[in-house]
Amino acid sequence: MYYRLRRLAGDTFFRLTLAATLAVILVPIYWMINTSLKNPREVIRSVPTFFPEAPTLANYANVFAQGIWTNVFNTVTVAVSATVISIILAFLASYALARFRFPFHLNRIFLIWVLVVRILPPIVLAVPLFSAFNMVGLINTRQGLILAFQIYTLPYAIWIIYGFVKALPLEFEEAATIDGASPGRILISIVAPLVRSGVLATSIFSLVLAWNEFLFALLFVRTPRLLTLPVVIARYIGEYSTQWGELMAVGLLASLPVLFFSNIVYRQLTQGFSLSLK
Amino acid sequence: MKQTKRNSHSIFFYLIFLPALLLVLFLTTYPIGNVVYNSFFDYDFISGSREYIGLENYRSIIAEELFHRSFQNTLIFTVSASVLEVLLGVALAFLLHRSFRGKRVASLVIIFPMIISTMVISAVWQTFYHFEIGLFNHILRSVGLSPVGWLTDRSVALFSIVLVDIWQWTPFAYLIIQAGMSSIPAELYEAAEIDGAGSGQIAARITLPLLMGQIVLVLMLRTLDTFRLFDKVYALTGGGPANATQTLSFFIYREGFTFFNFGRSGAASVLTLVIVALLSLVYVRRLFREDA
Repeated sequence: MYYRLRRLAGDTFFRLTLAATLAVILVPIYWMINTSLKNPREVIRSVPTFFPEAPTLANYANVFAQGIWTNVFNTVTVAVSATVISIILAFLASYALARFRFPFHLNRIFLIWVLVVRILPPIVLAVPLFSAFNMVGLINTRQGLILAFQIYTLPYAIWIIYGFVKALPLEFEEAATIDGASPGRILISIVAPLVRSGVLATSIFSLVLAWNEFLFALLFVRTPRLLTLPVVIARYIGEYSTQWGELMAVGLLASLPVLFFSNIVYRQLTQGFSLSLK
Repeated sequence: MKQTKRNSHSIFFYLIFLPALLLVLFLTTYPIGNVVYNSFFDYDFISGSREYIGLENYRSIIAEELFHRSFQNTLIFTVSASVLEVLLGVALAFLLHRSFRGKRVASLVIIFPMIISTMVISAVWQTFYHFEIGLFNHILRSVGLSPVGWLTDRSVALFSIVLVDIWQWTPFAYLIIQAGMSSIPAELYEAAEIDGAGSGQIAARITLPLLMGQIVLVLMLRTLDTFRLFDKVYALTGGGPANATQTLSFFIYREGFTFFNFGRSGAASVLTLVIVALLSLVYVRRLFREDA
Protein backbone atom coordinates (compact mmCIF):
# COMPACT_ATOMS: atom_id res chain seq x y z
CA MET A 1 0.00 0.00 0.00
CA TYR A 2 2.75 2.42 0.99
CA TYR A 3 4.75 1.58 -2.11
CA ARG A 4 1.72 2.03 -4.36
CA LEU A 5 1.04 5.43 -2.87
CA ARG A 6 4.64 6.42 -3.31
CA ARG A 7 4.61 5.29 -6.89
CA LEU A 8 1.41 7.19 -7.56
CA ALA A 9 2.92 10.31 -6.03
CA GLY A 10 6.06 9.82 -8.10
CA ASP A 11 4.00 9.38 -11.27
CA THR A 12 1.96 12.48 -10.61
CA PHE A 13 5.07 14.49 -9.89
CA PHE A 14 6.66 13.25 -13.10
CA ARG A 15 3.60 14.13 -15.18
CA LEU A 16 3.39 17.59 -13.65
CA THR A 17 7.08 18.27 -14.35
CA LEU A 18 6.74 17.10 -17.93
CA ALA A 19 3.59 19.17 -18.48
CA ALA A 20 5.17 22.26 -16.92
CA THR A 21 8.32 21.91 -19.04
CA LEU A 22 6.37 21.54 -22.26
CA ALA A 23 4.13 24.46 -21.30
CA VAL A 24 7.09 26.76 -20.63
CA ILE A 25 8.47 25.90 -24.05
CA LEU A 26 5.21 26.08 -25.97
CA VAL A 27 3.66 29.21 -24.44
CA PRO A 28 6.04 31.67 -26.19
CA ILE A 29 5.52 29.85 -29.48
CA TYR A 30 1.76 29.89 -28.95
CA TRP A 31 1.99 33.57 -28.06
CA MET A 32 3.70 34.27 -31.36
CA ILE A 33 0.93 32.54 -33.32
CA ASN A 34 -1.74 34.18 -31.16
CA THR A 35 -0.33 37.69 -31.64
CA SER A 36 0.18 37.21 -35.38
CA LEU A 37 -3.56 36.58 -35.77
CA LYS A 38 -4.71 39.69 -33.90
CA ASN A 39 -5.62 43.00 -35.48
CA PRO A 40 -3.42 46.02 -34.62
CA ARG A 41 -5.86 47.42 -32.08
CA GLU A 42 -6.20 44.20 -30.14
CA VAL A 43 -2.40 43.84 -30.02
CA ILE A 44 -1.84 47.06 -28.10
CA ARG A 45 -4.66 46.57 -25.62
CA SER A 46 -3.38 46.86 -22.05
CA VAL A 47 -5.10 43.59 -21.12
CA PRO A 48 -3.59 41.01 -23.48
CA THR A 49 -6.03 38.48 -24.90
CA PHE A 50 -5.16 34.80 -24.84
CA PHE A 51 -7.09 34.11 -28.02
CA PRO A 52 -7.48 36.50 -30.93
CA GLU A 53 -10.99 37.95 -30.71
CA ALA A 54 -11.43 38.28 -34.45
CA PRO A 55 -8.70 36.12 -35.98
CA THR A 56 -7.32 37.76 -39.10
CA LEU A 57 -4.63 36.99 -41.63
CA ALA A 58 -4.17 40.72 -42.29
CA ASN A 59 -0.71 40.75 -40.72
CA TYR A 60 0.47 38.04 -43.08
CA ALA A 61 -1.10 39.85 -46.03
CA ASN A 62 0.68 43.04 -44.98
CA VAL A 63 4.12 41.53 -44.65
CA PHE A 64 3.76 39.84 -48.01
CA ALA A 65 2.56 43.08 -49.55
CA GLN A 66 5.67 44.78 -48.14
CA GLY A 67 7.74 42.29 -50.07
CA ILE A 68 8.85 39.82 -47.41
CA TRP A 69 9.30 37.31 -50.24
CA THR A 70 12.52 39.01 -51.24
CA ASN A 71 13.89 38.50 -47.75
CA VAL A 72 12.72 34.90 -47.62
CA PHE A 73 14.43 34.39 -50.96
CA ASN A 74 17.66 35.97 -49.66
CA THR A 75 17.65 33.85 -46.54
CA VAL A 76 17.09 30.66 -48.54
CA THR A 77 19.73 31.54 -51.15
CA VAL A 78 22.35 32.49 -48.60
CA ALA A 79 21.68 29.54 -46.29
CA VAL A 80 21.61 26.97 -49.10
CA SER A 81 24.72 28.30 -50.87
CA ALA A 82 26.68 28.60 -47.63
CA THR A 83 25.73 25.02 -46.76
CA VAL A 84 26.58 23.59 -50.18
CA ILE A 85 30.01 25.25 -50.16
CA SER A 86 30.73 24.15 -46.60
CA ILE A 87 29.67 20.58 -47.21
CA ILE A 88 31.74 20.20 -50.39
CA LEU A 89 34.86 21.79 -48.90
CA ALA A 90 34.44 19.90 -45.62
CA PHE A 91 33.97 16.58 -47.40
CA LEU A 92 37.11 17.06 -49.50
CA ALA A 93 39.19 18.31 -46.57
CA SER A 94 37.93 15.57 -44.23
CA TYR A 95 38.94 12.87 -46.67
CA ALA A 96 42.40 14.37 -47.04
CA LEU A 97 42.77 14.74 -43.27
CA ALA A 98 41.58 11.21 -42.57
CA ARG A 99 43.65 9.44 -45.22
CA PHE A 100 46.79 11.49 -45.74
CA ARG A 101 49.48 12.57 -43.33
CA PHE A 102 50.39 16.20 -44.02
CA PRO A 103 53.79 17.44 -42.80
CA PHE A 104 54.33 19.45 -39.60
CA HIS A 105 51.39 17.80 -37.79
CA LEU A 106 49.13 19.89 -39.98
CA ASN A 107 46.27 17.42 -39.56
CA ARG A 108 46.06 17.86 -35.80
CA ILE A 109 46.84 21.57 -35.80
CA PHE A 110 44.12 22.24 -38.35
CA LEU A 111 41.48 20.17 -36.56
CA ILE A 112 42.25 21.82 -33.23
CA TRP A 113 42.27 25.27 -34.79
CA VAL A 114 38.86 24.59 -36.31
CA LEU A 115 37.59 23.73 -32.82
CA VAL A 116 39.14 26.89 -31.38
CA VAL A 117 37.28 28.95 -33.98
CA ARG A 118 34.04 27.76 -32.41
CA ILE A 119 34.87 29.49 -29.14
CA LEU A 120 35.90 32.86 -30.57
CA PRO A 121 33.37 35.66 -30.16
CA PRO A 122 32.40 36.31 -33.81
CA ILE A 123 32.30 40.08 -33.32
CA VAL A 124 36.11 39.91 -32.96
CA LEU A 125 36.34 38.59 -36.52
CA ALA A 126 33.66 40.90 -37.86
CA VAL A 127 35.59 44.17 -37.67
CA PRO A 128 38.68 43.12 -39.66
CA LEU A 129 36.62 41.06 -42.10
CA PHE A 130 34.44 44.09 -42.71
CA SER A 131 37.40 46.09 -44.01
CA ALA A 132 38.72 43.11 -46.02
CA PHE A 133 35.31 42.49 -47.61
CA ASN A 134 34.93 46.20 -48.21
CA MET A 135 38.18 46.28 -50.19
CA VAL A 136 37.01 43.59 -52.60
CA GLY A 137 33.42 44.83 -52.86
CA LEU A 138 31.76 42.02 -50.91
CA ILE A 139 29.94 44.28 -48.45
CA ASN A 140 26.24 44.56 -49.17
CA THR A 141 26.17 41.43 -51.34
CA ARG A 142 24.74 37.95 -50.86
CA GLN A 143 28.10 36.48 -51.88
CA GLY A 144 29.74 38.30 -48.99
CA LEU A 145 27.27 36.81 -46.52
CA ILE A 146 27.71 33.33 -47.98
CA LEU A 147 31.45 33.68 -47.48
CA ALA A 148 31.12 35.08 -43.94
CA PHE A 149 28.77 32.28 -42.90
CA GLN A 150 31.57 29.80 -43.56
CA ILE A 151 32.93 30.91 -40.18
CA TYR A 152 30.08 28.98 -38.57
CA THR A 153 29.20 26.26 -41.03
CA LEU A 154 32.63 25.13 -42.27
CA PRO A 155 34.22 24.22 -38.89
CA TYR A 156 31.06 22.42 -37.87
CA ALA A 157 30.86 20.47 -41.12
CA ILE A 158 34.55 19.56 -41.01
CA TRP A 159 34.35 18.12 -37.53
CA ILE A 160 31.23 16.07 -38.12
CA ILE A 161 32.14 14.79 -41.61
CA TYR A 162 35.71 14.06 -40.49
CA GLY A 163 34.19 11.81 -37.84
CA PHE A 164 32.16 9.93 -40.45
CA VAL A 165 35.08 9.47 -42.85
CA LYS A 166 37.45 8.41 -40.09
CA ALA A 167 34.98 5.72 -39.01
CA LEU A 168 34.80 4.10 -42.48
CA PRO A 169 36.54 0.74 -42.91
CA LEU A 170 39.55 0.93 -45.23
CA GLU A 171 38.83 -2.31 -47.12
CA PHE A 172 36.65 -0.82 -49.87
CA GLU A 173 39.18 1.84 -50.71
CA GLU A 174 42.06 -0.64 -50.64
CA ALA A 175 40.23 -3.02 -52.95
CA ALA A 176 39.51 -0.16 -55.34
CA THR A 177 43.15 0.94 -55.28
CA ILE A 178 44.27 -2.58 -56.20
CA ASP A 179 41.80 -2.50 -59.09
CA GLY A 180 43.60 0.62 -60.23
CA ALA A 181 41.03 3.29 -59.33
CA SER A 182 42.41 6.82 -58.94
CA PRO A 183 41.95 8.62 -55.59
CA GLY A 184 39.44 10.98 -57.19
CA ARG A 185 37.43 8.04 -58.49
CA ILE A 186 37.52 6.40 -55.03
CA LEU A 187 36.39 9.60 -53.37
CA ILE A 188 33.41 10.02 -55.66
CA SER A 189 32.19 6.49 -56.22
CA ILE A 190 33.11 4.77 -52.96
CA VAL A 191 33.53 7.21 -50.07
CA ALA A 192 30.78 9.68 -51.00
CA PRO A 193 27.94 7.11 -51.11
CA LEU A 194 29.07 5.62 -47.79
CA VAL A 195 28.85 8.91 -45.88
CA ARG A 196 25.83 10.27 -47.77
CA SER A 197 23.19 10.03 -45.04
CA GLY A 198 25.48 11.51 -42.41
CA VAL A 199 26.44 14.34 -44.72
CA LEU A 200 22.78 15.02 -45.45
CA ALA A 201 21.97 15.38 -41.75
CA THR A 202 25.00 17.61 -41.30
CA SER A 203 23.82 19.86 -44.10
CA ILE A 204 20.38 20.25 -42.51
CA PHE A 205 22.04 21.37 -39.31
CA SER A 206 24.27 23.77 -41.21
CA LEU A 207 21.19 25.13 -43.01
CA VAL A 208 19.58 25.92 -39.66
CA LEU A 209 22.78 27.64 -38.47
CA ALA A 210 22.96 29.80 -41.57
CA TRP A 211 19.20 30.46 -41.64
CA ASN A 212 19.34 31.92 -38.13
CA GLU A 213 22.66 33.77 -38.35
CA PHE A 214 22.36 37.34 -37.17
CA LEU A 215 25.66 39.13 -36.54
CA PHE A 216 27.24 39.12 -40.00
CA ALA A 217 23.84 39.46 -41.64
CA LEU A 218 23.36 42.64 -39.62
CA LEU A 219 26.82 44.13 -40.14
CA PHE A 220 27.63 43.20 -43.73
CA VAL A 221 24.33 44.02 -45.45
CA ARG A 222 22.51 47.35 -45.29
CA THR A 223 20.22 47.49 -48.34
CA PRO A 224 16.67 46.47 -47.29
CA ARG A 225 16.06 44.23 -50.31
CA LEU A 226 19.19 42.19 -49.50
CA LEU A 227 18.39 41.60 -45.82
CA THR A 228 17.83 38.15 -44.36
CA LEU A 229 14.87 37.35 -42.11
CA PRO A 230 16.59 37.65 -38.69
CA VAL A 231 17.71 41.18 -39.57
CA VAL A 232 14.25 42.08 -40.86
CA ILE A 233 12.91 40.98 -37.48
CA ALA A 234 15.53 43.04 -35.63
CA ARG A 235 14.56 46.10 -37.67
CA TYR A 236 10.91 45.54 -36.87
CA ILE A 237 11.73 45.42 -33.16
CA GLY A 238 13.67 48.67 -33.44
CA GLU A 239 11.60 50.75 -35.83
CA TYR A 240 7.93 49.98 -35.39
CA SER A 241 7.89 49.17 -31.74
CA THR A 242 4.27 48.03 -31.54
CA GLN A 243 3.67 46.46 -34.96
CA TRP A 244 3.68 43.19 -33.08
CA GLY A 245 1.14 41.43 -35.28
CA GLU A 246 3.34 41.79 -38.35
CA LEU A 247 6.48 41.12 -36.34
CA MET A 248 5.08 37.83 -35.08
CA ALA A 249 3.91 36.90 -38.56
CA VAL A 250 7.47 37.33 -39.87
CA GLY A 251 8.75 35.44 -36.84
CA LEU A 252 6.52 32.50 -37.59
CA LEU A 253 7.60 32.52 -41.24
CA ALA A 254 11.21 32.43 -40.09
CA SER A 255 10.56 29.59 -37.64
CA LEU A 256 8.40 27.16 -39.60
CA PRO A 257 11.18 25.86 -41.86
CA VAL A 258 13.52 25.09 -38.95
CA LEU A 259 10.76 23.52 -36.88
CA PHE A 260 9.95 21.36 -39.89
CA PHE A 261 13.47 19.92 -39.74
CA SER A 262 13.52 19.52 -35.93
CA ASN A 263 13.44 15.74 -36.20
CA ILE A 264 16.66 15.60 -38.24
CA VAL A 265 18.28 18.29 -36.11
CA TYR A 266 17.46 16.34 -32.97
CA ARG A 267 19.10 13.20 -34.29
CA GLN A 268 22.09 15.21 -35.50
CA LEU A 269 22.49 16.88 -32.11
CA THR A 270 22.45 13.66 -30.14
CA GLN A 271 24.80 11.95 -32.61
CA GLY A 272 27.06 14.98 -32.92
CA PHE A 273 27.60 15.09 -29.21
CA SER A 274 28.40 11.43 -28.90
CA LEU A 275 31.00 12.03 -31.61
CA SER A 276 32.50 15.11 -29.99
CA LEU A 277 32.54 13.40 -26.60
CA LYS A 278 34.73 10.57 -27.82
CA MET B 1 56.72 4.73 -61.88
CA LYS B 2 55.55 3.93 -58.39
CA GLN B 3 57.22 7.07 -57.11
CA THR B 4 55.39 9.33 -59.58
CA LYS B 5 52.10 7.65 -58.69
CA ARG B 6 52.63 8.35 -55.01
CA ASN B 7 53.55 11.94 -55.83
CA SER B 8 50.43 12.41 -57.88
CA HIS B 9 48.45 10.96 -54.98
CA SER B 10 49.90 13.42 -52.51
CA ILE B 11 49.24 16.26 -54.93
CA PHE B 12 45.64 15.09 -55.03
CA PHE B 13 45.36 15.22 -51.24
CA TYR B 14 46.97 18.65 -51.09
CA LEU B 15 44.56 19.87 -53.75
CA ILE B 16 41.41 18.72 -51.96
CA PHE B 17 42.60 20.04 -48.60
CA LEU B 18 43.73 23.43 -49.86
CA PRO B 19 40.32 25.17 -50.38
CA ALA B 20 39.14 24.54 -46.82
CA LEU B 21 42.56 25.42 -45.41
CA LEU B 22 42.77 28.70 -47.29
CA LEU B 23 39.21 29.66 -46.40
CA VAL B 24 39.75 28.96 -42.70
CA LEU B 25 43.01 30.92 -42.76
CA PHE B 26 41.38 33.87 -44.48
CA LEU B 27 38.26 33.91 -42.28
CA THR B 28 39.87 33.35 -38.89
CA THR B 29 43.64 33.55 -38.79
CA TYR B 30 43.95 36.67 -40.89
CA PRO B 31 41.31 38.65 -38.89
CA ILE B 32 42.95 37.77 -35.59
CA GLY B 33 46.33 38.92 -36.83
CA ASN B 34 44.73 42.05 -38.20
CA VAL B 35 42.95 42.80 -34.92
CA VAL B 36 46.18 42.47 -32.95
CA TYR B 37 48.04 44.68 -35.45
CA ASN B 38 45.38 47.42 -35.51
CA SER B 39 45.15 47.51 -31.73
CA PHE B 40 48.49 49.39 -31.69
CA PHE B 41 47.22 52.12 -33.99
CA ASP B 42 44.96 55.10 -33.78
CA TYR B 43 42.96 53.93 -36.78
CA ASP B 44 39.84 55.69 -37.99
CA PHE B 45 38.24 53.54 -40.68
CA ILE B 46 36.14 56.32 -42.23
CA SER B 47 38.93 58.86 -42.73
CA GLY B 48 41.52 56.13 -43.18
CA SER B 49 44.02 57.86 -40.90
CA ARG B 50 46.32 55.40 -39.16
CA GLU B 51 48.97 56.32 -36.65
CA TYR B 52 51.09 54.07 -34.44
CA ILE B 53 50.42 54.77 -30.79
CA GLY B 54 51.80 51.70 -29.03
CA LEU B 55 49.75 50.58 -26.06
CA GLU B 56 47.69 53.75 -25.83
CA ASN B 57 44.41 52.03 -26.89
CA TYR B 58 44.86 49.40 -24.21
CA ARG B 59 45.66 52.00 -21.58
CA SER B 60 42.62 54.13 -22.36
CA ILE B 61 40.22 51.17 -22.57
CA ILE B 62 41.40 49.57 -19.35
CA ALA B 63 40.91 52.92 -17.61
CA GLU B 64 37.45 53.39 -19.07
CA GLU B 65 34.42 52.99 -16.86
CA LEU B 66 32.24 51.66 -19.68
CA PHE B 67 34.69 48.86 -20.35
CA HIS B 68 34.65 47.86 -16.68
CA ARG B 69 30.89 47.90 -16.76
CA SER B 70 30.83 45.78 -19.93
CA PHE B 71 33.21 43.27 -18.40
CA GLN B 72 31.22 43.10 -15.19
CA ASN B 73 27.91 42.65 -17.02
CA THR B 74 29.37 39.96 -19.25
CA LEU B 75 30.68 38.12 -16.21
CA ILE B 76 27.36 38.34 -14.34
CA PHE B 77 25.46 37.22 -17.41
CA THR B 78 27.85 34.37 -18.20
CA VAL B 79 27.96 32.96 -14.70
CA SER B 80 24.27 33.24 -13.90
CA ALA B 81 23.00 32.02 -17.28
CA SER B 82 25.36 29.08 -17.71
CA VAL B 83 25.15 27.86 -14.11
CA LEU B 84 21.36 28.06 -14.03
CA GLU B 85 21.07 26.37 -17.43
CA VAL B 86 23.24 23.48 -16.32
CA LEU B 87 21.43 23.09 -12.99
CA LEU B 88 18.04 23.13 -14.68
CA GLY B 89 19.30 20.80 -17.39
CA VAL B 90 20.51 18.28 -14.79
CA ALA B 91 17.25 18.56 -12.86
CA LEU B 92 15.19 18.01 -16.01
CA ALA B 93 17.33 15.08 -17.07
CA PHE B 94 16.73 13.41 -13.70
CA LEU B 95 13.02 14.17 -13.66
CA LEU B 96 12.39 13.01 -17.21
CA HIS B 97 14.68 10.00 -17.08
CA ARG B 98 12.18 7.26 -17.65
CA SER B 99 10.38 5.88 -20.65
CA PHE B 100 6.90 7.13 -21.27
CA ARG B 101 4.49 7.37 -24.16
CA GLY B 102 5.25 10.30 -26.43
CA LYS B 103 8.85 10.68 -25.23
CA ARG B 104 10.01 11.18 -28.82
CA VAL B 105 7.54 14.01 -29.44
CA ALA B 106 8.36 15.60 -26.08
CA SER B 107 12.08 15.53 -26.92
CA LEU B 108 11.39 17.26 -30.23
CA VAL B 109 9.36 19.98 -28.52
CA ILE B 110 12.14 20.42 -25.97
CA ILE B 111 14.67 21.32 -28.66
CA PHE B 112 12.40 23.95 -30.30
CA PRO B 113 13.88 26.90 -28.34
CA MET B 114 17.44 26.19 -29.45
CA ILE B 115 16.67 25.93 -33.15
CA ILE B 116 14.44 28.98 -33.51
CA SER B 117 16.26 32.18 -34.46
CA THR B 118 17.39 34.29 -31.50
CA MET B 119 15.75 37.28 -33.16
CA VAL B 120 12.36 35.57 -33.24
CA ILE B 121 12.78 34.60 -29.60
CA SER B 122 13.79 38.14 -28.63
CA ALA B 123 10.76 39.49 -30.48
CA VAL B 124 8.39 37.24 -28.54
CA TRP B 125 10.00 38.06 -25.19
CA GLN B 126 9.83 41.71 -26.07
CA THR B 127 6.05 41.35 -26.12
CA PHE B 128 6.21 39.57 -22.74
CA TYR B 129 8.42 42.22 -21.18
CA HIS B 130 6.68 45.37 -22.43
CA PHE B 131 5.96 47.63 -19.48
CA GLU B 132 2.41 48.68 -20.36
CA ILE B 133 0.97 45.99 -22.61
CA GLY B 134 3.27 43.03 -21.94
CA LEU B 135 2.02 39.68 -20.72
CA PHE B 136 4.21 39.52 -17.60
CA ASN B 137 3.13 42.85 -16.15
CA HIS B 138 -0.48 41.99 -16.97
CA ILE B 139 -0.11 38.82 -14.86
CA LEU B 140 1.63 40.76 -12.06
CA ARG B 141 -1.11 43.39 -12.04
CA SER B 142 -3.90 40.83 -12.04
CA VAL B 143 -2.52 39.18 -8.89
CA GLY B 144 -2.16 42.58 -7.26
CA LEU B 145 1.60 43.10 -7.63
CA SER B 146 3.19 46.21 -9.05
CA PRO B 147 4.58 45.97 -12.58
CA VAL B 148 8.29 45.51 -13.20
CA GLY B 149 10.40 47.42 -15.71
CA TRP B 150 11.74 44.21 -17.21
CA LEU B 151 13.86 45.94 -19.82
CA THR B 152 13.82 49.48 -18.48
CA ASP B 153 14.84 49.01 -14.85
CA ARG B 154 18.60 49.13 -14.45
CA SER B 155 18.73 46.45 -11.79
CA VAL B 156 16.43 44.05 -13.67
CA ALA B 157 17.27 44.34 -17.39
CA LEU B 158 20.35 42.11 -17.38
CA PHE B 159 18.47 39.36 -15.58
CA SER B 160 15.60 39.62 -18.04
CA ILE B 161 18.14 38.77 -20.73
CA VAL B 162 19.45 35.92 -18.57
CA LEU B 163 15.90 34.57 -18.41
CA VAL B 164 15.57 34.56 -22.21
CA ASP B 165 18.90 32.75 -22.50
CA ILE B 166 17.77 30.18 -19.96
CA TRP B 167 14.60 29.57 -21.92
CA GLN B 168 16.57 29.18 -25.12
CA TRP B 169 19.50 27.04 -23.96
CA THR B 170 18.41 24.89 -21.01
CA PRO B 171 17.19 22.34 -23.59
CA PHE B 172 20.75 22.07 -24.86
CA ALA B 173 22.09 21.29 -21.39
CA TYR B 174 19.26 18.82 -20.89
CA LEU B 175 20.01 17.12 -24.19
CA ILE B 176 23.69 16.44 -23.51
CA ILE B 177 23.18 15.40 -19.90
CA GLN B 178 20.29 13.16 -20.83
CA ALA B 179 22.43 11.53 -23.52
CA GLY B 180 25.12 10.89 -20.92
CA MET B 181 22.56 9.44 -18.54
CA SER B 182 21.16 6.97 -21.00
CA SER B 183 24.67 5.67 -21.69
CA ILE B 184 25.12 4.57 -18.07
CA PRO B 185 24.75 0.77 -18.05
CA ALA B 186 21.58 -0.48 -16.34
CA GLU B 187 23.53 -3.17 -14.43
CA LEU B 188 25.05 -0.47 -12.23
CA TYR B 189 21.59 0.61 -11.07
CA GLU B 190 20.43 -2.96 -10.58
CA ALA B 191 23.47 -3.78 -8.47
CA ALA B 192 22.93 -0.70 -6.34
CA GLU B 193 19.26 -1.56 -5.84
CA ILE B 194 20.14 -5.09 -4.78
CA ASP B 195 22.53 -3.61 -2.25
CA GLY B 196 19.58 -1.63 -0.92
CA ALA B 197 20.53 1.87 -2.08
CA GLY B 198 17.68 4.41 -2.18
CA SER B 199 17.00 6.52 -5.25
CA GLY B 200 18.62 9.58 -3.65
CA GLN B 201 21.74 7.59 -2.86
CA ILE B 202 21.87 6.17 -6.38
CA ALA B 203 21.63 9.66 -7.84
CA ALA B 204 24.34 11.09 -5.60
CA ARG B 205 26.75 8.15 -5.64
CA ILE B 206 26.34 6.69 -9.11
CA THR B 207 24.58 8.92 -11.62
CA LEU B 208 26.04 12.31 -10.76
CA PRO B 209 29.70 11.21 -10.56
CA LEU B 210 29.37 9.41 -13.89
CA LEU B 211 27.81 12.51 -15.42
CA MET B 212 30.57 14.86 -14.29
CA GLY B 213 32.29 14.75 -17.70
CA GLN B 214 29.11 15.82 -19.50
CA ILE B 215 28.30 18.45 -16.90
CA VAL B 216 31.72 20.08 -17.24
CA LEU B 217 31.42 19.92 -21.03
CA VAL B 218 28.01 21.64 -21.09
CA LEU B 219 29.18 24.21 -18.59
CA MET B 220 32.15 24.97 -20.82
CA LEU B 221 30.11 25.21 -24.01
CA ARG B 222 27.53 27.43 -22.31
CA THR B 223 30.17 29.65 -20.66
CA LEU B 224 31.96 30.26 -23.94
CA ASP B 225 28.69 30.90 -25.74
CA THR B 226 27.15 33.23 -23.14
CA PHE B 227 30.43 35.12 -22.94
CA ARG B 228 29.93 36.46 -26.47
CA LEU B 229 26.42 37.75 -25.72
CA PHE B 230 25.39 40.21 -28.42
CA ASP B 231 22.16 39.37 -30.30
CA LYS B 232 19.81 39.53 -27.35
CA VAL B 233 21.29 42.78 -26.11
CA TYR B 234 20.96 44.26 -29.57
CA ALA B 235 17.33 43.22 -29.90
CA LEU B 236 16.05 43.70 -26.35
CA THR B 237 17.82 46.66 -24.76
CA GLY B 238 20.44 48.09 -27.13
CA GLY B 239 22.85 48.08 -24.18
CA GLY B 240 20.63 50.22 -22.00
CA PRO B 241 19.13 51.34 -19.70
CA ALA B 242 22.12 53.51 -18.73
CA ASN B 243 24.58 50.86 -20.01
CA ALA B 244 23.17 48.28 -17.60
CA THR B 245 23.28 45.59 -20.30
CA GLN B 246 26.50 46.60 -22.08
CA THR B 247 28.62 43.55 -22.76
CA LEU B 248 32.13 43.06 -24.12
CA SER B 249 30.83 42.04 -27.55
CA PHE B 250 28.57 45.07 -27.56
CA PHE B 251 31.49 47.29 -26.58
CA ILE B 252 33.55 45.99 -29.52
CA TYR B 253 30.55 46.41 -31.81
CA ARG B 254 30.07 50.04 -30.80
CA GLU B 255 33.73 50.93 -31.13
CA GLY B 256 33.94 49.18 -34.50
CA PHE B 257 30.62 49.81 -36.20
CA THR B 258 29.25 52.94 -34.56
CA PHE B 259 32.46 54.95 -34.13
CA PHE B 260 34.51 53.04 -36.74
CA ASN B 261 37.49 53.27 -34.42
CA PHE B 262 39.19 50.05 -35.49
CA GLY B 263 42.18 50.61 -33.21
CA ARG B 264 40.13 50.72 -30.05
CA SER B 265 37.80 47.94 -31.15
CA GLY B 266 40.94 45.92 -31.90
CA ALA B 267 42.35 46.48 -28.43
CA ALA B 268 39.01 45.55 -26.85
CA SER B 269 38.93 42.43 -29.03
CA VAL B 270 42.40 41.36 -27.95
CA LEU B 271 41.48 41.82 -24.28
CA THR B 272 38.33 39.76 -24.84
CA LEU B 273 40.30 37.03 -26.60
CA VAL B 274 42.72 36.84 -23.70
CA ILE B 275 39.84 36.31 -21.29
CA VAL B 276 38.26 33.69 -23.55
CA ALA B 277 41.58 31.88 -23.81
CA LEU B 278 41.99 31.84 -20.02
CA LEU B 279 38.42 30.60 -19.59
CA SER B 280 38.82 27.75 -22.03
CA LEU B 281 42.17 26.81 -20.51
CA VAL B 282 40.54 26.26 -17.14
CA TYR B 283 37.96 23.95 -18.66
CA VAL B 284 40.32 22.13 -20.96
CA ARG B 285 42.58 21.29 -18.03
CA ARG B 286 39.60 20.08 -16.05
CA LEU B 287 38.39 17.92 -18.95
CA PHE B 288 41.83 16.42 -19.47
CA ARG B 289 42.24 15.62 -15.80
CA GLU B 290 38.91 13.85 -16.10
CA ASP B 291 40.43 11.69 -18.83
CA ALA B 292 43.56 10.79 -16.92
